[in-house]
Amino acid sequence: MMDRAETMRRVAVIGVGHSTFGVRGDVTLQELAWEAIAEALKDAGLTQKDIEVSVVGVVGTREYELMPAVPVNDYAGLTHVGPIRVEAACATGLAALTTAHNYVASGMADIALAVGVEKMTEVDTATSLAVGGRAGNYLWEFHFVGTTMPAQYALYASAHMARFGTTEEHMALVAVKNHRHAARNPKAHFQYEVTVEEVLGSRPVAWPIKLLDSSPISDGAAAAVLASEDAVRRLGVDVPVWVSGIGYSSETPNMVRRPHYVGLEATVRAAAMAYKRAGISPTDVEVAEVHDAFTIAEIMAYEDLGFVEKGMGGKFVAEGQSDLGGKVSVNVSGGLKGKGHPLAATGLSMVYEIVKQLREERERGRQAPLKRYVGLAHNVAGIGHQAYVVVLRR
Amino acid sequence: MSEKRTVKRQGPTIDSIPLIYRHKIPISKTHRFWQGLAEGRIRATRCGTCGSIYFPPQDDCPRCMASGLEWVDLPKRGTIEAFTKVYARPQGYEHFDPYIVAIVGVGDARIIGWLMGVEDERNVRVGMDVEVDVVEVGPGKLVPVFRPA
Ligand SMILES: CC(C)(COP(=O)(O)OP(=O)(O)OC[C@H]1O[C@@H](n2cnc3c(N)ncnc32)[C@H](O)[C@@H]1OP(=O)(O)O)[C@@H](O)C(=O)NCCC(=O)NCCS
Ligand SMILES: [Zn+2]
Repeated sequence: MMDRAETMRRVAVIGVGHSTFGVRGDVTLQELAWEAIAEALKDAGLTQKDIEVSVVGVVGTREYELMPAVPVNDYAGLTHVGPIRVEAACATGLAALTTAHNYVASGMADIALAVGVEKMTEVDTATSLAVGGRAGNYLWEFHFVGTTMPAQYALYASAHMARFGTTEEHMALVAVKNHRHAARNPKAHFQYEVTVEEVLGSRPVAWPIKLLDSSPISDGAAAAVLASEDAVRRLGVDVPVWVSGIGYSSETPNMVRRPHYVGLEATVRAAAMAYKRAGISPTDVEVAEVHDAFTIAEIMAYEDLGFVEKGMGGKFVAEGQSDLGGKVSVNVSGGLKGKGHPLAATGLSMVYEIVKQLREERERGRQAPLKRYVGLAHNVAGIGHQAYVVVLRR
Repeated sequence: MSEKRTVKRQGPTIDSIPLIYRHKIPISKTHRFWQGLAEGRIRATRCGTCGSIYFPPQDDCPRCMASGLEWVDLPKRGTIEAFTKVYARPQGYEHFDPYIVAIVGVGDARIIGWLMGVEDERNVRVGMDVEVDVVEVGPGKLVPVFRPA
């Protein structure tokens, strides 16, 4: 199965776009998607006429429009080239990238566009928490015990703390780091810094997760234009960023059937597949955007992605190894925590950031130092229901 | 704290027509579970062919393609493996006080339920032994619950 990947064509990201994330009560879903699509087309130096297939990623469980992909595509002037609608809960963004990649890699298209868009703030918080909690295993969990996304991650946090001595302070350090980066990102939901004391003193959401350990409820969109090697040459793209390995996996949605609560097996498997296909090891990764929906999720991601051994994630952040310029610069965009987490937009927002990083287009204070030019994006659905890992190289 | 710069753009809005979903969930294949719950039992299924235990219970065994699995009662004592206290409550649970959710290992299975008889979640420990029960926490709402053993 793995070998077949070698018969596929190489694919590069040649344009990226990103809306401002946050509470975007000023725009509809399609207007928001357009902000990202327009920027991505401009960045690639292309127009809609050049796009052969459009992949629209949207979770679409909080929106008033129940079939959003076609309206999004139509608003952007892409009516006759798709859309292929993709949904993988919070991992929809990288699922959309994977789908667009496969169109190009297989030869079905030379140039493809992937957009991820979500409007989450049109309904109230209790509704949003219910939609998240109901997703993935309504009957045997939410129906009885009213679990939410924060609660599911909190269950993992309790086990990680008990097993490895991970502390609330370790988790707070993730928030402090990611807010520091978000403060420098003009497209982030929260553009301010927080202190460890503020995180520890913030109100509880689902113990031990507090407000400042949580990603927010956000609106946003992000997009990428992908092209074959032929198209890259034909268009004379200056700095193509190559999709060098994609991995994906899933895990039982029944939390009570999971083997343990200290890591996400879907991430472990997706990462192994992506590293193998890219021909790299975790120590090659220099800059990574990981799925920090809650601070414990980033600590588990360090471990599950192989940046550090299982159980040492708290120490990893405390030692500054995930800081800008550390062993791996993690979530230099601000992450889901600081930049915001508009579900389907998140994976493509990660790709946007990694592409900008690998092109070395970021200003001082946010540009990761690079030698090997290897970046990684890690996008998770639910509490590890699905995971996608994408390795990008310049 | 530095100035809290947050992206919060509001504009004029109109209200959508509300849409209310109320699903009818088929329980024919898990009827014995729901019956057991009303009697204070938590039941799993066991495949007579390959021995697999299923909780949540299911009537079909994808491992060996058998159907019509047997029902077994799970033990009423177990150990906490993970827990949290839910403060930010979802729609449908707003009228409950913050509740402690725990995952508890019972014999060969694990179940999820509410931990009762403990106020402060900081007094809960992974590894704590608990007894399992079923409690009606609201009209017709039966929940597996745990109490410190
Ligand atoms: C944590 C959560 C419940 C807070 O929601 P809330 O209590 O309704 O908060 P509000 O929207 O009323 O915001 C109140 C204030 O807190 C701020 N705030 C909200 N969420 C925040 C967060 N996660 N981090 C920091 N500040 C936050 C708001 O900006 C607002 O600030 P202001 O008073 O200065 O304007 C909500 O953000 C949430 O559910 N997050 C998780 C989302 C999720 O599960 N995503 C999927 C994960 S895979
Ligand atoms: Zn069987």
